[in-house]
Formats: sequence, structure tokens, C-alpha cells
Amino acid sequence: MLELKNITKIYNPGQVTEMCLFDKFDLTVTDGQFVSIVGSNGSGKTSMLNIICGSIPIEGGEVLVGGKDIAKMKDYQRYRSIGRVYQNPSMGTCPNLTMLENMSLADNKGKPFGLSFGINKSRENYYKEQLSILGLGLENKMHVKLGALSGGQRQATALIMSTLTPIEFLILDEHTAALDPKTAEIIMDLTSKVVKEKNLTAMMVTHNLRYAVEYGNRLIMMDKGGMVMDKAEDEKKNMKVEDILDVFTSISIECGN
Amino acid sequence: MKKFLAMALVLAMATLAGCGSSSDEGATEGDSANANANVPVIGISQYGQHASLDNCREGFLLGLEESGLVEGTDYTVDYQNAGFDDNIAMQIAQNFSAKNVALMCAVATPSATACYAAAEDKDIPVIFTAITDPVKAKLDTGNITGTSDKLPVEAQLELIRALQPEAKTIGILYTTSEPNSVAAIEEYKEKGPEFGFTIETIGVTQQAEVLQAADSIIAKGVDCISNLTDNNVVGVLPSILEKTNDANIPVYGSEIEQVKLGCVASAGIDYIALGKQTGEMAAKILKGEATAEEMPYETISSYDTYVNSQALTDLEITVPADIAEKAIEAAN
Amino acid sequence: MVFVDLLISTLTQGLIYALLSYGVFITYKILDFPDLTVDGSFPLGAAITAVLLVNGMNPYLVLLVSAAIGALAGLATGFMHVRLGVRDLLAGIITMTALFSINLQIAGSNLAVERAIDTIFTAEPTMALLGSMSLMYRKFIVALVIALLVKILLDLYLKTKNGLLLRAVGDNSTLVTTLAKDKGTMKILGLVIANALVALCGSVVCQEQRAFSSTMGTGQVVFGLATVIIGTTLFRRFGFVKGTTAVLVGSVFYKICIQVAISMGLPANLLKLAMAVLFLAVLVLGDRKKGGAEHA
Repeated sequence: MLELKNITKIYNPGQVTEMCLFDKFDLTVTDGQFVSIVGSNGSGKTSMLNIICGSIPIEGGEVLVGGKDIAKMKDYQRYRSIGRVYQNPSMGTCPNLTMLENMSLADNKGKPFGLSFGINKSRENYYKEQLSILGLGLENKMHVKLGALSGGQRQATALIMSTLTPIEFLILDEHTAALDPKTAEIIMDLTSKVVKEKNLTAMMVTHNLRYAVEYGNRLIMMDKGGMVMDKAEDEKKNMKVEDILDVFTSISIECGN
Repeated sequence: MKKFLAMALVLAMATLAGCGSSSDEGATEGDSANANANVPVIGISQYGQHASLDNCREGFLLGLEESGLVEGTDYTVDYQNAGFDDNIAMQIAQNFSAKNVALMCAVATPSATACYAAAEDKDIPVIFTAITDPVKAKLDTGNITGTSDKLPVEAQLELIRALQPEAKTIGILYTTSEPNSVAAIEEYKEKGPEFGFTIETIGVTQQAEVLQAADSIIAKGVDCISNLTDNNVVGVLPSILEKTNDANIPVYGSEIEQVKLGCVASAGIDYIALGKQTGEMAAKILKGEATAEEMPYETISSYDTYVNSQALTDLEITVPADIAEKAIEAAN
Repeated sequence: MVFVDLLISTLTQGLIYALLSYGVFITYKILDFPDLTVDGSFPLGAAITAVLLVNGMNPYLVLLVSAAIGALAGLATGFMHVRLGVRDLLAGIITMTALFSINLQIAGSNLAVERAIDTIFTAEPTMALLGSMSLMYRKFIVALVIALLVKILLDLYLKTKNGLLLRAVGDNSTLVTTLAKDKGTMKILGLVIANALVALCGSVVCQEQRAFSSTMGTGQVVFGLATVIIGTTLFRRFGFVKGTTAVLVGSVFYKICIQVAISMGLPANLLKLAMAVLFLAVLVLGDRKKGGAEHA
């Protein structure tokens, strides 16, 4: 379970450009939830993910994972239990390393990275098996450098890599935004499949309202550092794109967008 | 296109390498055609192009000639210049060693160190010049000898005393990391009081700091400035002289080239003479009269006094008659 | 005979300086870190070597000590950059500047090693194994063994889990963070290994030339970058050639070019220009190849 309690986030504190984004923000995500988060630019979606992952500092509040406060931990320490896929497909893989090397790196997450051989041949079949879930034929590209693959293929690989070892949370940061519509569709399907298959708790920021409605079992809409909509389970199931579009348009107009 | 470029590069390299080896062969063939195949080659490795070092080399060749050796029949010269790069000095020395030259002549310390290391295998004699402290550079034993260009500190102090009988303090600018400068400063501080001088020094770490240091030393009210052979300081000497001339402070040089630039006078080494002395030593080795191993290194026996009359007049300094008689006018 | 001698001694230079190229390969090519520490850590290795040899330490042990102290130079640059937030170029410049003074403190001033003192080229067990050879060939064999040994060790390291992580830091540091590893620590480690190699190179050069001079580091970064770029560019088309092999060849190639230029009687002042032209030619060529690969 993830809990954000009393989160205060101020950008450029003490300067003329000071901007308070979160003022005592609260959010609880229970295990097994797949939360879709929508909202206009600057509403605080990505900032929230960054606060959870420790990529940006906060001025106050607690970040609890399983009841334990991780707000003081460094970003890389928090990633022991968090997997993350970024908007930019090149952020989740190493372009100059082969598929096998990339998978080996991901496989060693949480282990000490000592002086034993980096590639464990006996694990290769497991990697292939995992990649075959994607159905993109990536299991036949074990010795191809990731830089030679398309954005969609890299993003799919990043998805598998981020979930290869046991994690408590999967953070999806607009991970389909940089892909063409067809590839985005494929990656979204894969995401849903992986989350289900591995029984993960996931938080997905997206600008695609249809994805937000179709996927996941909870939907949050954010605006100016607060939640303006929060629908879970049955309420969420019955939602249509039009329902949230109305709310979305009204807040966007307020913002002058 | 890729293949074409790759081929072009390979071809270019092959041509370059080919040129190298063919011109190499050409040179040796040319030599043997010109004269007897057994004419000994003297490899001259000069650290860089610099008036004093050039003078050393010229003097060296003069010394050989004056000892009765004739270029072409008695020896040929392979001259290389390292452009002040230690690594290139090393490769030049290896080039000489591979060609098995009869004698290596090294001008300045880095070249001498490189030549001595490369000569170890074949025990080729090395003769050096323009080295301040051959003992410290461990170039005083073995099949090596040459001449030292240690600054004549005492002669310089004597000259300053003669030209400025009232002077009390001498200012010196130097680079703290230059061992030669540090050694010279020590000697100045030791011998200055004997001539009634206090020595004021300001150390710098790089050339960019020198002019600032010049301002401070002028502000300290020194009666004159004495210059070393410090590369960082000498490099900006004309600008220093502008400042000191405004402040009416005479600057003494450490060799003729500095006096040419506008220093009032110098008790200095005549690098041509130093080179000549070296050339005479080399001739002895070539003639088989002595080995480099037997000959101890030599320091220059006489120093000249160089003056720049224009600078002296501008600063209203009169030169005593006995000095004026022997002094060499450097400005022309 | 002249040609063979020239070839052997030039190859020896290339092999010795390959140690420095390996170091620059790690920082520049693997970590994507322009490390200027090299101009200071190279003479650092030489200064320590000169002092220790003069004081009678075993020359092989001297190699290890020099490398270990070179590692500290890398640690200083890494610490400044990673923990104190100093920009990469500036961190290197600060360490390099400090080392200039430190090197002179260590060695007193420029320091020579007498012929009577044994170096790795003249001490046991080198003499027992290669004593019948002339010094030139002995230097060649010792340089070859060291260059290959270090290359093999480095290749092995880069294949370990830790080595893989190091490569990942330069390739995509964000990924390293999401792998729950501190990218800063890995960067520091890379700088430590690189500068240990550079100081090792300085140590071998000092043993070969029997001298330390405070100015011997000048231009070593440029040399290192040139050999890494020339090596990796020349071998870009051959995917199976390891980066370490490429820079080893790059180093040898560079020294051969200089020796060819010297033999041709090219004046030293033009020599640098000739190298710059060669460097540019290889670079332009490499970029075109890269462009081609991406369009393919």
C-alpha cells in the first residue's frame, strides 16, 4: 500500500517565481490497484510520480510504502521496490548494450552487482520467455543493440525490464505519449497484460482520456495540485470518455487553456 | 561511399607510411652516395625553437668545424626539433638510436633525458648543452657529457652593484614550479647580502599571473629587477619592461636576447660560445681522443657583459669605464 | 635493420601509452565524462615511480603503488563532481591543477633515475626470462605483456555485473537509478579505475625514460582522446573488435604516425598540424559511417 500524507511541494521556494503546487496533499493507493491519472499540464501528475520516486524534494509530508516512511530515502534506494517506465523510450534501456545485456542488468536489480559474470547464460531462456509475452519477436533479438530497435520495441523492452524482478509499484509516466497511435495501442495492451500477469500495483499518468477510461480500476483527475475526480471499481467501470471530457474541459477553460 | 572512404583512408595511410620509409631509405642512400658509407651521423635533438637554444646548436656546429672536422666527410648532421613536447623528444631519441647514430647532441634537459634513455641500449655517447644542473638531472655519470648553462649569479650581482652603487633591493619574479628558477633564487638570496643587496621575490604558478606580480614588485619599491631564464616570465618580458620603464626601474637580463628586448644590461652566457665549447668536446669524442664517459661536464668559463645603451640612457644609468670597455652592445 | 629497430621502439611506445588510452577509453567512451585529470595523474604516476625507484623499492611493486595513488586522483575528481556538484570539466581541471603542485612536492623537482637503479625492464624476473635479449627487445616484450595483461583484465571486468553497470552509467544513467543503484558511485568508480591506469602508464613511461618532469603530463588528455577516437572510429565497422583492442591499435597507430613524420623530416612545428589533419580526417570519416549506419 502507498500513502501520500500531507505532502507540501513548493517550486523555487523563497524566489519571486515561488509556486506552491501541493499543500497538504493526500492519496492512498491500495495493493493491486491500477490507477490512471489524467489532468492538464501543470496539474501535478508528473510531480506526484517524481515525489513518490524521490526524483524531486518535498517541503513536508510523508511518503509511506507498506506503512514505512520513505521520504528521507534517496531516489535510487526507493527504486528497490519501484519500477518505472518513462515517456521517452530511450530512458528505459541502454542503447549501446544488447538485449541480453539489458535484460541481465534488469535481472540483477536489487542484487549487489559484484565481479561475477554479468551474463548468466542459464537465465537466457527465462529472458526469452518474458520477452515473448510481448509477442513482438524480441526474443529473437538477444544480441541486437537496443539502439537499433524502434521506439515501440524499446518501450516494450523497458516495460519488461522494469517488471522483471519483484516490485511493489509500477510507475508509468506518460509511457505511450511518444509513440505513434498504433504502437501506443500495442504498448497499452501489453501494459495491461503485464500488470495483470504479475499482479502489480500501478500508477499511470496519461493524456489519453480513452486509455484512462479503458484501462485500470481507478481513475483520478488532477488540477492545480488537487484531485477533482476519483472514481474506483464499479464507478470507474461505468465511466465513458465523455463523462471526464466535460470535467476536463471545464477545468481547462478555467486555466485559460 | 563508406567503403570508398575507408579505402581512401587506408591508401592515404599506406602512402604516408610508404613516404616515410622510402624517404628514410632515400636519406641513407643519399648519404652513402655523397660520401663514404661510414661517415658518422650526429643526431641533434633540440627541445624547441628558441633563440638561446638555436644559438647553442649553431655554436655546436661551429665548434665541430673549428676542431678541424668537415661536414660531409667527417660527419653528417640529422637535426630534429621536438617543439617543446617531451613525448616527441622521446621518439626523436629513439629514431636516433634505431639509426645507430655515432653521437647524440641534446639541447636542453628534456631532450637530454630522452636521448640518454634511448642511448642506453646501444651505449651511444650523448653530449648535452643548455642544461642548468646536470648533477640533479643525473646526467653527470655514464657515457654522457656536455656543458651547463647555469646562471652567473655572482657576476650579475657585481654588475648591478657597479651600475647602481646606491641600490638596496633587487626584485625577482619567478615560477615556483621551475626548479632552475628556484635554485637561482636560492643563490641570489645567499650571495645578495655579500654585495649589500636585499632580495625581494614574488613567485607565480603560471604566465597569466606574471604581470600582476610585476605590478606588486614595483609597488614594493625595489631599486631594480633582475631577470632569470624563467620561461613564463621571459615570455611576457616586453610587457614587464613597459611597466618598469614607466616606474623608472631598470631591469637586468640574464642573457643577450633579453637585453635585445630592452633590459639595461646582463652578465650573461654567450650561448654561441657555450655551443662552441660543446662542439669541441663532441669533436674529441668523434676523433677518438676521449670518451664521453671520461670527460666531466663543463660550465662556461667566461661571461660577457651585454648592455643596451638606449635603455641605459633612458634610465639615466652611467656605465663605469672599465665595464663599458668590455661590454657588448646588444641592441644592434 | 634501421627499419626494424625503429618499428620495435615505436611499437613499444604505442604499447606503453595504450595504458593511458584504456583509461581515457573508460572515462570518455564508457562514462561519457571528459576527464582532464589525466594531465595530472599521468605525471603523478611518474613522480611516485621516480621517488620510489630512487629509494630502492621493487620496480614491479612501484607499478602497483603508482596505480593505487593514481586511483586517488580519480577519486578526488569523482568526489568533487558527484558529491560536491562541480561540473565534470571543472572537477578535472581542479584536480589536474592541484596535482601539478602535488607532483612537484612528491618528487621535489624534476627527478632522474640513475642507470644503476633497476626498472621493470632490467630487474628480475625480467632478466631471468629475457636477459639474453637486447634492452630494446626486452622493453618491447615487457610493454607488450603489460599492455595485453591490462587489456584482458579490463575486458574481463567489463563483462562482470559491475562492469555492465559501469557501461550502463555512460549509456543511460537514468536506467541505473531505476535499477536501484547510485549512478554517482559508479561514476566515481569509473574515474578511479581510469586514473589508476593513467598513473600506471606514467609509471611505465618513467621507468622507461628514467625521468620524471613536471611538464610531462601536458597534452596527454589530447593524446588519449585522439587515440580513443581514432581507434574506435577505425574499427567501428567491425563489431566484433573490442573497444580496448581498438584503442590499443589507436595508440600504436598514433605513435607510428609521429615516427613516420619524424623520419620524413617534418618539422616539429608542423607535426602537430599534421596530426590535427589526420585526426580530423578520421573523425569526419567516422561520422559519415555512423550516419550511414543510422540510415540503413
